[in-house]
Amino acid sequence: MNYPTELKYSKTHEWLTMDGDVAVIGISDFAQDALGDVVFINLPEVGDDVFAGEPFGDVESVKAVSDLVSPVTGTVCAINEVLLDAPEALNEDCYEAWIIKVEGVTQTEDLLDATEYEEFCATEE
Amino acid sequence: MEKLKRTQLYQVHVDEGATMVDFGGWNMPVQYPTGIVAEHLYTRHFCSLFDVSHMGRLIIEGPEMVPFLQHVLTSNVEALDLDKAQYCIIPDEDGSAVDDAYLYRYSEDRYLLVVNASNTDKDLEHLNKIVKDYDCTITNITADWGSIAVQGPKSKDLLLVLTGGEALTEPMKNALGVHDFEGHKAYVAKTGYTGEPIGYEVFVKSEDIAWLWYRLEELGARPAGLGARDTLRLEAGMPLYGHEMGEDPDGNPMPVFSVPLARFAVSFSDRKGDFVGRAALEKQSAVFKEIMNRDYSHIDVLPRRILPIALLDRGVIRAHMEVFRNGEKIGWVTSGTMVPYYKAEGEGLETVITDEVVKRSIGMAYISSDLLEDDIIEVDVRGRRLKAVVVEKHLDALAPPFARPLIYGHELAKREESGESRLNKAINLLQRAEENHIWRQQNCINLIPSENTPSKAVTMLCASDPAFRYAEHKKVKSFYDKDIFYYQGTKFIDDVEQLLVEEMKQYFGCTEVETRVISGQMSNMCAFSALMDWKNRLDRKNTPKRLGYVLNNHIIKGGHLSAQPMGALHDYVAIDPVTERAAVVNFPVCKDNLFKIDVEETKKVIEEYKPELIIFGKSMVLHKEPVAEIRKFVDEMGLNTTIMYDMAHVLGLIGDYFQKPFEEGAEIVTGSTHKTFFGPQRGVVAVNYKEEDLKYGLWKAIETRAFPGSVSNHHLGTQLGLLMAAYEMNTFKDAYQKAIITNAKSFAKSLKAAGLNVCGDPAIDYTETHQVIVSVGYGEGADIAARLERNNIIVNYQATPEEEGFTASGALRMGMSEMTRFGFGPAEFDKLAQLMADVILRDKDVSQDVAKLRGEFTEMKYCFDDKAFDEALGHFAGKIGF
Repeated sequence: MNYPTELKYSKTHEWLTMDGDVAVIGISDFAQDALGDVVFINLPEVGDDVFAGEPFGDVESVKAVSDLVSPVTGTVCAINEVLLDAPEALNEDCYEAWIIKVEGVTQTEDLLDATEYEEFCATEE
Repeated sequence: MEKLKRTQLYQVHVDEGATMVDFGGWNMPVQYPTGIVAEHLYTRHFCSLFDVSHMGRLIIEGPEMVPFLQHVLTSNVEALDLDKAQYCIIPDEDGSAVDDAYLYRYSEDRYLLVVNASNTDKDLEHLNKIVKDYDCTITNITADWGSIAVQGPKSKDLLLVLTGGEALTEPMKNALGVHDFEGHKAYVAKTGYTGEPIGYEVFVKSEDIAWLWYRLEELGARPAGLGARDTLRLEAGMPLYGHEMGEDPDGNPMPVFSVPLARFAVSFSDRKGDFVGRAALEKQSAVFKEIMNRDYSHIDVLPRRILPIALLDRGVIRAHMEVFRNGEKIGWVTSGTMVPYYKAEGEGLETVITDEVVKRSIGMAYISSDLLEDDIIEVDVRGRRLKAVVVEKHLDALAPPFARPLIYGHELAKREESGESRLNKAINLLQRAEENHIWRQQNCINLIPSENTPSKAVTMLCASDPAFRYAEHKKVKSFYDKDIFYYQGTKFIDDVEQLLVEEMKQYFGCTEVETRVISGQMSNMCAFSALMDWKNRLDRKNTPKRLGYVLNNHIIKGGHLSAQPMGALHDYVAIDPVTERAAVVNFPVCKDNLFKIDVEETKKVIEEYKPELIIFGKSMVLHKEPVAEIRKFVDEMGLNTTIMYDMAHVLGLIGDYFQKPFEEGAEIVTGSTHKTFFGPQRGVVAVNYKEEDLKYGLWKAIETRAFPGSVSNHHLGTQLGLLMAAYEMNTFKDAYQKAIITNAKSFAKSLKAAGLNVCGDPAIDYTETHQVIVSVGYGEGADIAARLERNNIIVNYQATPEEEGFTASGALRMGMSEMTRFGFGPAEFDKLAQLMADVILRDKDVSQDVAKLRGEFTEMKYCFDDKAFDEALGHFAGKIGF
């Protein structure tokens, strides 16, 4: 499992990084591995509001659906359209394949750093 | 907490990194590190292994095993032949399913019943209650024998390595075989749950199963888990108990007939007596038929059916989602997910499966029975209503070796309307017809065994005046059976037909010939119709009884299409009430030569079935038919059998170099007049009954079933041409027949020497007929035939006796007749063999060399070429405006 140290992680297995004032959000290696082959993704639209701790979309594997939980409150300013036709990109490189970008961030959940997240994942197994 | 059960392969799955889950109480692999999508695709593309050892394997044996199984299963157990398997359902009294299952008959003294893993305990409880009343036993061998499903286009090749090349089973689905896999006993079945046309289930002793798994992986198979097993069977439209069968989401039992496969799994044969659920199932079956006729008056008996659906909006549909039509809830999705497939390009036989992977959102739903294909419905996907459509099926397996996804909305390319005037189109047509004629007659080497070119004399006569006339005639008793003609202007054609009948009688060496039938297929229908008519001649007050049993050559072994229940035999063959199938049995073939009838085994079949009609003759033919031996046997047995020989291909070979059917004991000979015989395209029926024979009445039936039974207009132009052809045949046959057989054997040897794989017995130079068959690789036949056509060599692609069907064809079928008529001898056929090897083995372009070779042989031999004849022909051509 790979957990880049420059990113932050939520307990619901999303990663976050700040690009200036914009939050960039994706799912971690643990998440994509647990999901298996991702076959579909439901994304919000640009301009939609997201709320920290609340689902903003879902990702579907062959066998199951998983919520995507936002680590921040704010407004969606970009969605990764590549994922609409090729959701398997999340399996191929989950840190390259960001899911949404959020601006006007007012609230952020308590996030873990790479080491804390790795320990947390060990308890999830 | 109860510990999960483990199959014999549990440790193998763990060692191979599988993700393990609880499936019906078993610890099973849902996927391997490859993932479900890759495992699904590898199955469709190559070969996957599935551990199915968790399924229940039950042996039923004992004196009353058949009545017991007839009572507890929906299928007709007595219709299950040895070495075959059948899909069945274990019904409950209320007409719902306890489980679905597969019944295998490997031996005469026991049956193997395989049931779903999650239901094994429930099934045993149900069956054990009933078996108490029968003198038979049920033994659970699940722990002693394991099972692996080996599925995908390459599965046959892989398993053939283990048998050392010995055929696994007969080519059709549900066939069984018992083998020694490199020292391990293996029971093989051509069955599966993936929809793949090539796929097997293998049963081996528990101690051998890990060896089998690893050995197949060594050969290139890859493991696949329950996840891929589910996506594959969903794509194939196969039901999963607990989803498409059992109880609906409201907890109500689902009627058996709501599943499409019920039509095949349920029998109401008398042999089944009052089996479990019979009354309820009969009611469902009657309403099912009404619904198929769009009569919904009793739809409450069968309100919902399992239908395949495809999502039209973006999303994924899953089990238990509610389905709506016009806002009204009509049922639920029973199974659904995103399924991958390889994109295909091109059309028909030129379809190419690419490497591009696409995904589609599909499912099956338990929804209103009055829905039709293309109806639009809506599925509630987590609060949103997404549009979906009812489709016919998601996958078709009738073009082996691949299972082909059927994508909703796919359309074939439409022909573009040119918008030209009809005059221009007519001129264009003449030009194109001219090009085609020149190409085929001057540039091509024509090796299609069913084809020939008639002489100029025959062709021109076919186009002259009687061609557009009528000459209906019938024998009238009052005039001592003289033929009376219903039309005027028929004196010439009356005389022609009488002369034709005389020429044909001399050719056949027989008493009577009917020449009015206009094709080989029609000559067979006429014979079958006459047999049926004559059979019922003493009882005209009841619906005529059909013919049965009929002994023929199976189409896979080269038997005529015409003689199969789907061909000319269709409306004349009876259904055997015990097997509920056409009363047809096939000639057994020699184990070491699938092209040859096994006479000793045939005698056993004749003793058992006492066939009413025996039809000799094949379209893929390398050997003489054993007419004399079978005639002798039938006479010794004192059987009331009619022996018929459909000589379609070999009619022109009657004589010293092939066979003399009537001398050997055939009673009826039918045939095409245009293959090895010199005629235009027509048919003929010949018999050797004498007026004093009882069966002369059958001949009279043949006459009336020809006219007015089969024709009103019997195509007088080609009948006239046929008389000329009969003159040619009777004059030149000895030289022609000898040349054909010589050429066939010589060509076969030349092809072998050129490095090609020639089928047949080398000891007799591969063939006794006009045909030569060459094997080019499983599934390669159509491509190679197309490649040869681009090189001006015209042959048939052909499935050998071991191959599933024409799309899997691995061979080429060729005939010598046409090129022999144009003067080819062994030297030319040898040159041709070299050119063919260049094309087949080295993919060279030899089109110009072929055209050149053909160009030197455009003058027809074995026809009249005396000066007097040529003058008469020239005069005729001039006068009729050619």
